[in-house]
Amino acid sequence: MDPTYNTATLEQAYDDLVRHSLAKISGDLARLIYLASTRDYNTGNYHHDGLAGQFPAEIACQALEMAHRQIFGRIAACPLERLVVEVEAYVNSSPQSRAEVLEVWQKLEPYRVALPLNVNIAVAQLFISNIKLALAVLRHRRERKAAGPSAS
Amino acid sequence: MIGFASLMAGVVLLLLLVALAARDSREARIAQDDNAGAEMCPPEFVGQVFSRQDWEFIRGLRVPELAALFQQERKRVALVWVRQTSAMIQRVMREHAAAARQSRGVNFPTELKIWRQFLSLVLICGTLSLAIQIAGPRWLASLARVAQRLSEQMTNVQSALRPASPVSAGATGSE
Repeated sequence: MDPTYNTATLEQAYDDLVRHSLAKISGDLARLIYLASTRDYNTGNYHHDGLAGQFPAEIACQALEMAHRQIFGRIAACPLERLVVEVEAYVNSSPQSRAEVLEVWQKLEPYRVALPLNVNIAVAQLFISNIKLALAVLRHRRERKAAGPSAS
Repeated sequence: MIGFASLMAGVVLLLLLVALAARDSREARIAQDDNAGAEMCPPEFVGQVFSRQDWEFIRGLRVPELAALFQQERKRVALVWVRQTSAMIQRVMREHAAAARQSRGVNFPTELKIWRQFLSLVLICGTLSLAIQIAGPRWLASLARVAQRLSEQMTNVQSALRPASPVSAGATGSE
């Protein structure tokens, strides 16, 4: 197939994904989790029904992977203070209780599956470590709030 | 007498750094067997690992447990980066040495420059590794930037030389 055609189609698929699916999701962390959830655990291939209906399967898969890598890069490089805000927004958007989500995230570390394939090992470690720290900060804030205004 | 003691201290420190770098690269090789083709860590992430901004945020919370967790986590990530960089430059040098052995026209000034950069990087990685373990990464951003820049330069020089290096049907050799 003509590579120029492929590139143009990939850009269209990516734009479509950003405008129609990702724009509806609030926060980069939620987008990251969503994109990681479109990936098959066994094959590593991405699948999105809407995109697959409009573009060839391979192009749709590449567009999803591209978006996944891009958003992952943004989150992994963001300052810790901003990441805490991202994680908090994600936790608050969950229908489960805040305490429950925080506990499960700290114990099961589900964010590990959000890593793109073959990501640089140091970047992967930075991401995991920063999420761990953000969760610890949020947990501390929750405990302090629960302890009441007298707590320091 | 003081001069001799300083010299001995310097030699001991140098040996310690070389031993540390060798151990790190061995560990990195084991840890990265599956990731051998990995590219270098982009500079913006390196900046983040050594960032003081994140430390200021955590310190501002005034919670000793969080500060301790932060220091422990950043130390771990910084050491992963140092080991990765160390493993990468060792790999680049191994590839370069293999190519140079097959090359007929070795350019000595270029070779000398590459080896000088390699030795500087080994020394810097050893120093970084030691300093991170002792003091944590937040004071070492400048040294990390130097290591990042040098390893980039080295990788670029090596890739520029790569096509010309092997004998490949009696080529004239590297520049």
